Amino acid sequence: MGGRLSFGFPLGFLALAAFAPLIAAYFLRRRQKPRQVSALFLWRSPSQRAQAGPRLERFSREASLALELLAIGVAALFLADLRCGKDVPQKHLVVVVDGGLSLSAKGVADQVRAAVAKLAKDEGASALTLIESGVKPSVLAGPQLNTARALALLEAWRPSQPSHDVSAALLMARELSSVRGGRIWFFTDGPLPEGLVLPPEVRVQSVATAAENVAFLTAQRHDSGGVAAVTVRVANFTKSRRKIPVTFSAAPSEQVQTVELDPGTSAVVRVGLKTAATIRVSVPDDALSEDSAIELLAAPTPPLSVGALEGVDSGALKRFFAIAPGLVTTPPHALLFGPPGSKAQVTLGATPGLKSFVGPFFTQKGDPLLDDVELAGVVWTAGTNPPGRPLVTAGEAVLIAEEEDGTLHLNLDLPRSNIQRTTAWPVLLGNLVQRARLRAPGLPRRHLMLGEDVPVVTEGGAKWSLKGPDGRDRPVLGAGPVLLPALPTPGRWALLKDGKELDALVVLPLDPRESDLRTRGPFLHEATADAGTLTTGLSRPRPLWPIALLLLLLLADFWLTAREGRPVVAR
Amino acid sequence: MSLLDEAAVERAAAGKALRLPRVPHRGRVGEVRSSSVGSSLELHDFRLYQPGDDLRQLDWNAVARTGELVLRVRQDEVSPRVEVVVDASRSMGLTDAKAARTREVALLACVLALRAGLEPVVVTVGATAHRATGHRTREVLQRLELDGREGFDAALRRAPALMPCGLRLWVTDLLFEASADVLAERMTRGASGLAVIQVLDPEDVDPEGGLGARLTDTESGEVLERILTAGVLADYQSRLEAHLQLWRQATRRVRATLVIANAGDEIEGLARGPLSSLWEAA
Repeated sequence: MGGRLSFGFPLGFLALAAFAPLIAAYFLRRRQKPRQVSALFLWRSPSQRAQAGPRLERFSREASLALELLAIGVAALFLADLRCGKDVPQKHLVVVVDGGLSLSAKGVADQVRAAVAKLAKDEGASALTLIESGVKPSVLAGPQLNTARALALLEAWRPSQPSHDVSAALLMARELSSVRGGRIWFFTDGPLPEGLVLPPEVRVQSVATAAENVAFLTAQRHDSGGVAAVTVRVANFTKSRRKIPVTFSAAPSEQVQTVELDPGTSAVVRVGLKTAATIRVSVPDDALSEDSAIELLAAPTPPLSVGALEGVDSGALKRFFAIAPGLVTTPPHALLFGPPGSKAQVTLGATPGLKSFVGPFFTQKGDPLLDDVELAGVVWTAGTNPPGRPLVTAGEAVLIAEEEDGTLHLNLDLPRSNIQRTTAWPVLLGNLVQRARLRAPGLPRRHLMLGEDVPVVTEGGAKWSLKGPDGRDRPVLGAGPVLLPALPTPGRWALLKDGKELDALVVLPLDPRESDLRTRGPFLHEATADAGTLTTGLSRPRPLWPIALLLLLLLADFWLTAREGRPVVAR
Repeated sequence: MSLLDEAAVERAAAGKALRLPRVPHRGRVGEVRSSSVGSSLELHDFRLYQPGDDLRQLDWNAVARTGELVLRVRQDEVSPRVEVVVDASRSMGLTDAKAARTREVALLACVLALRAGLEPVVVTVGATAHRATGHRTREVLQRLELDGREGFDAALRRAPALMPCGLRLWVTDLLFEASADVLAERMTRGASGLAVIQVLDPEDVDPEGGLGARLTDTESGEVLERILTAGVLADYQSRLEAHLQLWRQATRRVRATLVIANAGDEIEGLARGPLSSLWEAA
């Protein structure tokens, strides 16, 4: 490496053309008519000797000309951006690899690695920038990392992204390209999606082959009463009808259910297992192992403590508390009902000035509290309007309102109303309980698909983080309900509160579009623009030593020329 | 174009006579007192009689007073010899003007010598050396070839021997590398008087500048390529002045006269001007 020499701008050598006029100028000056002098010794400086050799020989001895020729040479070197040793610009390739889960199929990732290595070797690249496409593209290696190190990092690459648009990755590649319009290589495993507009400098190469795959498309688990209800959808992405055994195992029990699927069809399989442990669901291994086996965490309904203060007509509440699953009445209460004016999270009652309404009722659309609450036929007796944002109104009366701090006011006089005898009452209370559960710190969802955003509920005063399958902690910032972007790798993720695991979820490596490998195959799409191999831009500024040398030579030339005019002291 | 304008020389010589040194001369018998003992009426010395002396020169009064045979020694009267030594090297023919002035200055000295009844001797030192006397000096100068390819000092070694006690006039440009002191002493050795007429061409004194030049020594043929910048010209003039200063000191040391004749001037002007110290009104 230390002996390498390169020129960043070879056109700079055109400056050497100045040799011709310079030498011509010297010859023209030499062509002056020879002059006879009486005493040549008076013309000689003490250091000079008369030279009577051949013209060319005398010419080559001209120190001033030699210095000027040297100066032109050095200037040409500077213009040509001479670099040696570590300053030599590196030949730089920008490569985008498809991060889709389908590239985890057997042998495909290795083929991509081999193709990238071959490309780097063929192009003589000394620096690589590797980008993995995904919902959020990421830089695997680089920018402009040494080729060997970049290829080593590529060895650790595990493609696991959901189906995504590669445009963002290609845009990032263009940004990281040091030369505008330089070529970008994109390695994938299948046909490009319809409607994708490739930049003209992108060369696409698919290295995979078509394969048959049986995959899970979705998976759910719900635990209730010690029984885990597991529902999975299995798809047959092969060319023939298949009998597929689906194995549900949770030590020590195991269940196998077989489904028979035509090519391209899917079926739902449901089982109930008496277990609170993690359940592994699998189908026989095939081309893509990732979507052939999944693990489902226990997802019981978390218990919620509810209660009612004095002054609340608790009869209707207690009836609900008795039948609703997962409710306990032991303090501290996560959901507390109280009379109007109390500090409870939900106030239930009406202040004097009662008035009954039979409709029409106006509800705030989209509020989860009012999901499936049907108020037709309800007689609602309400008092003075409560403070807060109205959620349900009837005429001028506000029936339900919510304050900024989450306090909910039910402006309802139960004895004079009939809502507690309608289906609206348990639905409304069920929504209230669900809202309370969603506000409890932890992970509201235990199973997420690839690319799904992650809901997390935190509370202030603690340090929260998510610990992934790779063992790295990712901090969770914000208090209350937080929606995090999709997690980058499938597997189990633990929610840590001050370093202690509070909850966990699993990201399932499932994506129907990635699991269908039947359409994969090799192809090549050449870049449409005549783009050259990238070279690094001037990662280091031009070396200034040629300029310093040039100035030195010019000074020496000036000194030499000026010295000829210096007076000579008489002997 | 003739390189010797004899008419101009004649005009320049009109009304002038060579200024001779006050010390005795040697030469043919003439009107000038010689340093040698002779038979003129001027008493030179007394000495005792030696056998073979002319008895007519005995000073009988002294013999009577002293009883010794005292001989009266008288000084000769001679016509002084004028030797004109001409540097016939190629540098003297650098230009036609310089060649003409060289011949004319030498001829002028000869003409003045002849008019004064002196015997002019011309010695030319070039590729070959010639010696001529009397009226033949004019012919020699007319045919003078300025073809010497070596310095004047080196060429002098081939010159005929110079006669002692004569007046010597050297016509040269002194533009050669030699020890001024040694050569001046050599030039004046045996002579009763020495005058050096330095003929310089305007190009020698004030060379013209230019972009560049291939300078060629007229005698050795050596070449030097120089860009004739103002600085180079100043250097040359500085060295020339130093060179002339050496010669001024050397000639002063041997009590010789050094005059400079600019070849750009006509001989009549030179005779009236720079060379006027060499002669006086006739």
